[in-house]
Amino acid sequence: MSRKQLDMTLLGLAGLLSFGLPLVISSPTYLQILILLFFYAYVTTAWNLVGGFAGVLPLGHSVFVGIGAYSSTILTLQYGVSPWIGMIVGGLLASGVGVLIGRPTLRMRGAYFALCTIAFAEGVRVMIENIDTLGPFKLNGPRGLLIPLKGDSFWNYQFMHKGPYYYIILIMLVLVLTLTWFISKSKIGYYLAAGGDEPEAAEALGVNVAKYKLMAMALSCFLTALAGTFYAQLMLYFYPKGLMGLDLSFEIAFIALIGGRGMIAGPLVGALALRPLNEFTRIYLGDQLPGLHLVIFGLILILVMLYQPKGLTPPLARLYGRLANRITGSDKSGHRTSSLKTTGQEGAQ
Amino acid sequence: MNKSIGGKLVGLALTALVALSFAAPAAAQKTIKIGNVEPLSGPSASVGVQGKQAREMAIEEINAAGGIKSLGGAKLELVYADSKSDPTVGVTETERLINTEKVNIMTGCWNSAVTYPATQVAERYGVPFVVPVAVRDTITERGFKNVFRIAAKDSWWVRDQFRFLKDMQEETGQKMKTIAFVYENGDWGTGFAEKWRALAKQDGYEVVLDEPYPSTATDLTPVVNKIKSVNPDILMLVSNAADAIQLTNTLAELRVKPKVVLSSGGGHADPKFLENVGKNALNMFDEVEWNTDVNKPGVKEINAKFKQKYGYDLAGESVDAYAAMYAIADAFERAASTDPAKVRDALAATKLTTGPAMIVSYDGIEFDESGQNKNAGIVIVQVADVGGKLDRVSVWPKSARRAGYKPVFPAN
Amino acid sequence: MTAQIQAVLDGIMMGAMYGLTALGLTLIFGVMKVVNFAHGSLLMVGMFAAYWLIKLTGIHPYLALLIVPPFLFLFGYFLQDLVIKPVFKAEQQVREPLTVIIVTTGVWYVLDNLALMLFGAEYRTVRTAITGTSFSIGNVIVSVPKFSGFVVSLATAAGLWLFMRKTRTGKALQATSLDREAANLMGINQYRIYNLAFGIGTAIAGVAGCVIMPFYSVYPSVGVVFDIRAFIIVVLGGLGSIQGAMLGGLVIGLIESVFPLFMTSTWTEAIIYAIFLIILFVKPSGFFGHKQDW
Repeated sequence: MSRKQLDMTLLGLAGLLSFGLPLVISSPTYLQILILLFFYAYVTTAWNLVGGFAGVLPLGHSVFVGIGAYSSTILTLQYGVSPWIGMIVGGLLASGVGVLIGRPTLRMRGAYFALCTIAFAEGVRVMIENIDTLGPFKLNGPRGLLIPLKGDSFWNYQFMHKGPYYYIILIMLVLVLTLTWFISKSKIGYYLAAGGDEPEAAEALGVNVAKYKLMAMALSCFLTALAGTFYAQLMLYFYPKGLMGLDLSFEIAFIALIGGRGMIAGPLVGALALRPLNEFTRIYLGDQLPGLHLVIFGLILILVMLYQPKGLTPPLARLYGRLANRITGSDKSGHRTSSLKTTGQEGAQ
Repeated sequence: MNKSIGGKLVGLALTALVALSFAAPAAAQKTIKIGNVEPLSGPSASVGVQGKQAREMAIEEINAAGGIKSLGGAKLELVYADSKSDPTVGVTETERLINTEKVNIMTGCWNSAVTYPATQVAERYGVPFVVPVAVRDTITERGFKNVFRIAAKDSWWVRDQFRFLKDMQEETGQKMKTIAFVYENGDWGTGFAEKWRALAKQDGYEVVLDEPYPSTATDLTPVVNKIKSVNPDILMLVSNAADAIQLTNTLAELRVKPKVVLSSGGGHADPKFLENVGKNALNMFDEVEWNTDVNKPGVKEINAKFKQKYGYDLAGESVDAYAAMYAIADAFERAASTDPAKVRDALAATKLTTGPAMIVSYDGIEFDESGQNKNAGIVIVQVADVGGKLDRVSVWPKSARRAGYKPVFPAN
Repeated sequence: MTAQIQAVLDGIMMGAMYGLTALGLTLIFGVMKVVNFAHGSLLMVGMFAAYWLIKLTGIHPYLALLIVPPFLFLFGYFLQDLVIKPVFKAEQQVREPLTVIIVTTGVWYVLDNLALMLFGAEYRTVRTAITGTSFSIGNVIVSVPKFSGFVVSLATAAGLWLFMRKTRTGKALQATSLDREAANLMGINQYRIYNLAFGIGTAIAGVAGCVIMPFYSVYPSVGVVFDIRAFIIVVLGGLGSIQGAMLGGLVIGLIESVFPLFMTSTWTEAIIYAIFLIILFVKPSGFFGHKQDW
């Protein structure tokens, strides 16, 4: 078969496997691990729209997760609105906030932008911790919000088993990956790529870099907020430090950086590499050696940045390419550079 | 196409995970597994570890005495998970203990912020959850069937703090008028403050300061400065370990001397506290579940045993954890089954008035319909110089007061 | 009136020490154009070093000042040489050294959690000869550890300033920070300068550690709180500016100390972030910085 056929077959197989897995795995703990893995892959892919495609380093993205969670939860708790609707509201709110904060900051240089996002995220978190009620809305300050048990109910976005959650986040992940792929092939993708590396050149060519960066930001924030609602409904509890803290923001960024930011599969690869590590070191080494998994995390980060600064995906992709060519008998020129679909970092030359 | 690579990797990884899940060993069942979520690292690690040690001591004793006789001498086994004082971790670990480790019963988590959602998880799965110490009222006020708490809830703590103040003013004839609230701005502190405000109004005090502060503040001088500027008669505190030390030392440094300083356990009850503040804590009052001089049989011996094993005295959390283990054993004994519903019912019917669990400061463990131990009480202690060493002396309720001790009220 | 004077005094003393924590950062930022996210962790290392030294040998904290900073200098020097330099070299062509930022974040995680593994999470304090002592001026009470911290901070800042202006090495550092290509052409070995800058920056963190230890507690993540403050101060004051760092520190210290008189102290943190954001929008180069084109 041809290279293209092999690629499609494997893709189909992977899809089948992912969707069929809950039928085989019954342990809620392992399902939970997978759910969290997809959750992180999803959030990081959404982050990638700004951090990878637009070429800046947002280190405070967890604030949008929080906005999503708080919006949908407050609407549910106080007004009985279904979390699905609340989710959209949260997304729109996050989008608006993102544009507001993006307009002045996206034109800044890397480190300044990063510091801004951190300051903004922490500022919002501290403010929420200090506020019990904002007008008619109960924020409950540092104590966070608890969602009461409502049993199995799609409308209430609550399920007694892990299965439905698994499928929801998997579908969200597939959708966001597809969306990213479309954008990368579109005009916007190329504008963003150009703007990330050589903004002056791009502007000289008539590309309104700022506008496209803002669009990416708006989209990214919207998608991130949806994940916030998902998380709230999965755990049925959250509080400012856990959901809007720097830990989450940094973990998202690291997953993308280690996986390969600016690449579509980068966040997914990163999540696959790092999340199981996180969970298993906590489970098996948790009480003996607290903090070990973060030491490992940090070391991996340093090593990857030293030897593979573009992330783990390029070498893995090359490996796959060679294997696939071997299997299908294609030659090197049998595949265009479309098998290394990178956008953002290898921009306009 | 990159997606195919990603997809392939997803497939590979998932297959690996599938293999792993099948490799999980099946658990044998002639032991009863008790799952415990405790803060074994993080800011409350000290207390979490004490809770762990107390449980271990109790389980050792129970197993040595023959285990659960109605289940053929089944032994009790403890499984731990570290919550790191993080509610999200607490929830995930509770789920793991219930679903993977298949524990028969849960206990935990000391931090109210962790206990609150973790107990909901247990309720979701129908597994009984015994809470030794986590004071937030709402833990037992949600209509849950599976949650039982040994210690008093925070509205009782607050009520007793104000009763103490009233009693002492009556006893000594000294009237106090102004009161200041200084508390850590987490779950615990803000919960207490809400109730303080109501009771202060009721008892006719003038609240001159209502100051939450971040527990992780680098410098508490601004807060102490504020206290100094309002000069309250009574200063009430809720603090964790590090800030309790900082506050006390800074109060001494800036020579702030309210007439009465009353703290609420937690950081102030931590063994490291006295070590690090020394004489600065003299005459401070503290509210705790238990004190080493509680006048009940067995207290001296059991405390001595604990001290010998682990190097320090029993304290609130450790005593309640210890008692919780005995209450759990008692429930299993009466249920004569590991079926969660039967165990739950046995717990609800508990009337434990004998045995080592009774080193608690009150006379019996009995749960009301909301799962709250009806008899749970607290003790107010004062830091005093006893024979050259700093010691915490029980002063209230009057029946619990250490013989021969006259409380210093006001302190300044 | 006493409370206000007390607050201003405390704010000035703490402010100087905050400035001290930011000094090392601004030096590294200015010379290498690198955001060193591991700075807080280096401070933590300094504090632990001071803690263990004082706990095990009981020496006076002022004497610890002679031992800890040199140790930290070496630590920083080799950290930069082994871990950061390779990444830096690879990134020379890239306009913004983002990878270095990421690596420093990795270092932060590793250091903080190694400390957690080795020392556990508890908060430790050490009673030194000066802990808890104070003297009074009228109604105002001055804490001795804070006062000596104040003096040491100013002395260190002054010392650094003199070093940068009057010594050859100092001038080399300045030259590199202003224009690294030109400095290179003038024969200044860029990488040795970086190692030096990092070493000095870390040594200053060591001084800060010694100065803070007598009145504060140390625990593995203590660096995080100071880290964020230090960044805010550096941006406020202007990258690479010593006066800026000290002034920025003063501003933060005063806000922390004086604002609580008018609101609960939990709001001061939010205010500091708000001010930070405003400065970033209005005058990103800070008080004393020049417009950076990097």
